[in-house]
Amino acid sequence: MTISTTQIFRLGINAILDQQEGLARTQLQIASGKRIQTPSDDPSGAVKVIDIQEQIATAEQHLRNGQFARTELSLEEGAMTGAQNVIQRVRELMIQANNDTQSEGTRQGIATEIRARRDELLALANARNASGDYLFAGFKLDSQPFSLSGGSVIYSGDQGQRRIQVGPSSLVPVSDSGVDVFQLIKTGNGILTADDTAGNTGSGTVKSLSQNSGFVSDTYTLNIIQLAATDPITYEVRDAAAALVSSGTYESSEAIAFNGISMVVEGVPANGDSFTVSPSTNQDIFTTLNNIIVALEAPSTELADNASLHNDMNEGLNNIDQALDNFLRVRSNIGSRLNNLDSQNEVNENFLLRMKAAISETQDLDFAEAISRLSSQATSLEAAQKVFVEVQSLSLFNFL
Amino acid sequence: MADLLGIATSGLGAIQQALSTAGHNIANVNTEGYSRQVADFSTLPAQRIGNSFLGSGVEVGAVRRAYDSFVVDELRTRSSKLGQATSFESLSSSLDSLVGDSDNGLSTTLEGFFNAIQGVASDPSSLSARQILLSDAEILTDRFTQLNNNLLSFERDTNNRITSAVGEINGLADNLAELNADIVLALGGGAVPNDLLDQRDALLMQLSEKVGIISLEQTDGAVNVFVGKGQPLVVGGTSQNLVVVDSPVYPGRLEVGVAQPGGATQIITNQISGGELQGVLDFRTRVLDPAMSKLGRLAVGMTELVNAQHQLGIDLNGQLGGDFFSPISSPVISAASNTGAATVSFTIDNVSDLEASDYLLVFDGAQWGLTRTADGAFSGGAGPFALDGITVNIAGGAPVAGDTYLIRPVHGAAGSFGLELASPEQFAAAAPVVSSLSLGNSGSAEISDVQVSSTTGLPLAGDITLTYNAAIPGYDVVGGPGGSIAFNPTTESGGKTFTFAGSGGLSFTLSGIPSNGDVITLSANTGAPGDNRNALFLGAMQSQALLDGSSATFGESYSGMVGGVGVATRQGKANLQAEDSLMDSAVAARERVSGVNLEQEAAELVRLQQAYQAAAQLVAITDTLFQTLLNATAR
Repeated sequence: MTISTTQIFRLGINAILDQQEGLARTQLQIASGKRIQTPSDDPSGAVKVIDIQEQIATAEQHLRNGQFARTELSLEEGAMTGAQNVIQRVRELMIQANNDTQSEGTRQGIATEIRARRDELLALANARNASGDYLFAGFKLDSQPFSLSGGSVIYSGDQGQRRIQVGPSSLVPVSDSGVDVFQLIKTGNGILTADDTAGNTGSGTVKSLSQNSGFVSDTYTLNIIQLAATDPITYEVRDAAAALVSSGTYESSEAIAFNGISMVVEGVPANGDSFTVSPSTNQDIFTTLNNIIVALEAPSTELADNASLHNDMNEGLNNIDQALDNFLRVRSNIGSRLNNLDSQNEVNENFLLRMKAAISETQDLDFAEAISRLSSQATSLEAAQKVFVEVQSLSLFNFL
Repeated sequence: MADLLGIATSGLGAIQQALSTAGHNIANVNTEGYSRQVADFSTLPAQRIGNSFLGSGVEVGAVRRAYDSFVVDELRTRSSKLGQATSFESLSSSLDSLVGDSDNGLSTTLEGFFNAIQGVASDPSSLSARQILLSDAEILTDRFTQLNNNLLSFERDTNNRITSAVGEINGLADNLAELNADIVLALGGGAVPNDLLDQRDALLMQLSEKVGIISLEQTDGAVNVFVGKGQPLVVGGTSQNLVVVDSPVYPGRLEVGVAQPGGATQIITNQISGGELQGVLDFRTRVLDPAMSKLGRLAVGMTELVNAQHQLGIDLNGQLGGDFFSPISSPVISAASNTGAATVSFTIDNVSDLEASDYLLVFDGAQWGLTRTADGAFSGGAGPFALDGITVNIAGGAPVAGDTYLIRPVHGAAGSFGLELASPEQFAAAAPVVSSLSLGNSGSAEISDVQVSSTTGLPLAGDITLTYNAAIPGYDVVGGPGGSIAFNPTTESGGKTFTFAGSGGLSFTLSGIPSNGDVITLSANTGAPGDNRNALFLGAMQSQALLDGSSATFGESYSGMVGGVGVATRQGKANLQAEDSLMDSAVAARERVSGVNLEQEAAELVRLQQAYQAAAQLVAITDTLFQTLLNATAR
């Protein structure tokens, strides 16, 4: 078989060029550390890399969101701790003030301190974060949520709750509206509340109030009847429609039961005194505090005044306890959200690690393999060059 | 004696010719397309002397080419295939590096855009977070248009390559026609013009590299060349040029055609097979068009879907959100050759179902036919046609057979992808409806998952109040749809979802145990810079499969485009490699037959030199014989 001279030359040079191309490719791979230089090197791998990179970017954003959420929640937690301390202090002051050894003057002093505490609580409720946003304004975080107007407080926020994406399907709330924290607080024991009627002249005070599960919810009036001073004190309980529910002889500190409700009144109420038992309603903490302040600042010269004070203090203590419960609920919510953030953080970090491993597995070069390939390619190139030179030097013309 | 001298000189002359042929071979060892020539010796006619024929010497009967037409035909076929594979690979490789380069790619900007939305969702009142979103969206749209421009430059590149390939083809055809004439003339003179034949073979090789050809040798020695489905390119001594014309249907696209008698041009782009030209056309239809359509689909998808969600939100000024991205409208292109009066339009019904393809609507005289160009799927009828998330409507006057319309829902749409939002305040991060529980409620009623699904009835004309009525049991509704909704706390306190279609498609979930008279209010959201609910919805779109028949996220839609280019390029590379080695063996086959081997020529030289020396010796012997005779007779 004849092989033309140009063909011999072409074969030799093609062998060298092929080896050079492979060598250059390996060199490029080693220089960049990447197995995939262009998508055509491994189309499915390239697609995978792009998709994983997006997931990595998303997970990193979720981590950043988590940081942000942590900051917001920590601020709120701080404010809630402050609020709790304020209410604890008010509670102590009230117990102090409820003691009969207090004089009108010392009660005034206590009232003044509670007023200061109320302002402190107001400041906490109007707390802002680093960018000047109000923590407890719901979505309306550019307007001061609470402002005092006369004795009552006005809420200017809304009931929105901001949530932040911290995982692919995990949204963590990072705020609680002022309504939820400071306003939606039930009075009394959370279900029922008892109150004395203004103008009572006896010394009857409501000691306790409870209900069993089958109680009938309504507004009841307990009327004290003692037509003559020598008569025994009797009572009657009427519902909202003035229908008689129960009646009997009044004994101090003895439970009066009706429609699943049990109520204990202490002291000596006078004829015509009355007490009401009604379903709990929502009362914001500032109104509760105001009521306490007003009660403490009221003159207490007569016996009835004292009874009224005690009643108000008992009622206030109930309300304060409800507020404490609510604050505790909000704080434990914040705590569980922070826990959630921690675990989500861990999930995200693990996910990032796995994704980065996957991306490296897909696109990174196996250096050991590449280096050995490089040296074998270099050897092949050298051999091809040697063969070319050898073959080209062979010619019959050398001998003519 | 005179005969002997004649024989000697005939030998010297013939061997000289053979030596020249060997020399010609050696000299042309590197000439492209050269075929080794062989001088065939033959005896001169013998003379009858007496009873025997005495030889009278030698002559060179013919100098012929070492040539095998089958091998050469095969070489031409391979050359066409190689030309096709080379131009396809070269174009798709450069597109491959372009889309594979993460600095040019969309993915980082897409991530940046959605991260910026998340940034606003975290801190919705922050103007700087909103400003970052705006500039990241700007970067995203810029990258889209830049990528689209890059793809368009590939479209221009294909046009340029078509123009230059057609130019070269025409030049080669002209040369072939001239050579044909020369060869016919030479053959008429009786001799075979070997070098002219080699030149013509070389031209045919160059031509087949540019375009697939069929060549037929005529009895007079001319070669007729045809392209496509028998379009004559060279007939005898005349050539008919190909022309490049603007596509009557596809804007900005060139087509290959042949001039018809009467001035019309017949487009033969689809008939071209093989050669560089086919490689370029293949790249255009198999790589570039799908890439542009996929990119466009992503642009249309993001525009429509992000805008739709953005319009369901409230911006910092308390206004309903407008368009986030500029709406993209793609026109229907009516072919320049249309003579009918039909008007064709299309609407996008469902972005998620859009295919990355163009559609050709052709009237065949009886009915309309709609062809999806990506895969050739055909549907016929009177219209309208509803498919792939679009509806094609046909109105207006009567169509004429052959009328053609190009519908491009997505192709090139990335070029019009732009940001509509002008200021950071206009980003609608908030939801349009807020709920609130009345402070007077004594029950434990809760409302959650308040969201809207359409802009109809938004913003709410007034508050919608839900008042619990134990007698139903349920809520009396005032405002919105009015009436009442059933809610039984004993069985449904875990949560029940309601929808008010006429009020923005408002849906919400009620739970808990309300007390009689408890009130829940749904009201229009105004002045709530901390509301991030709509931003959360927008951010969540990143991980939702919203495109390609709800099978791909925005990111996957882009990576799918990159993968498509990668797969096509990989195929192109593998194909090129295969064609390369096929070409190598075809070249080897030709070289075996027609190639010059210097060793062989050297041996030939030695052989001829010896013969020449012997013939020269014959002259000397003749001279000696003559001298002997002279000396004998001189006395």
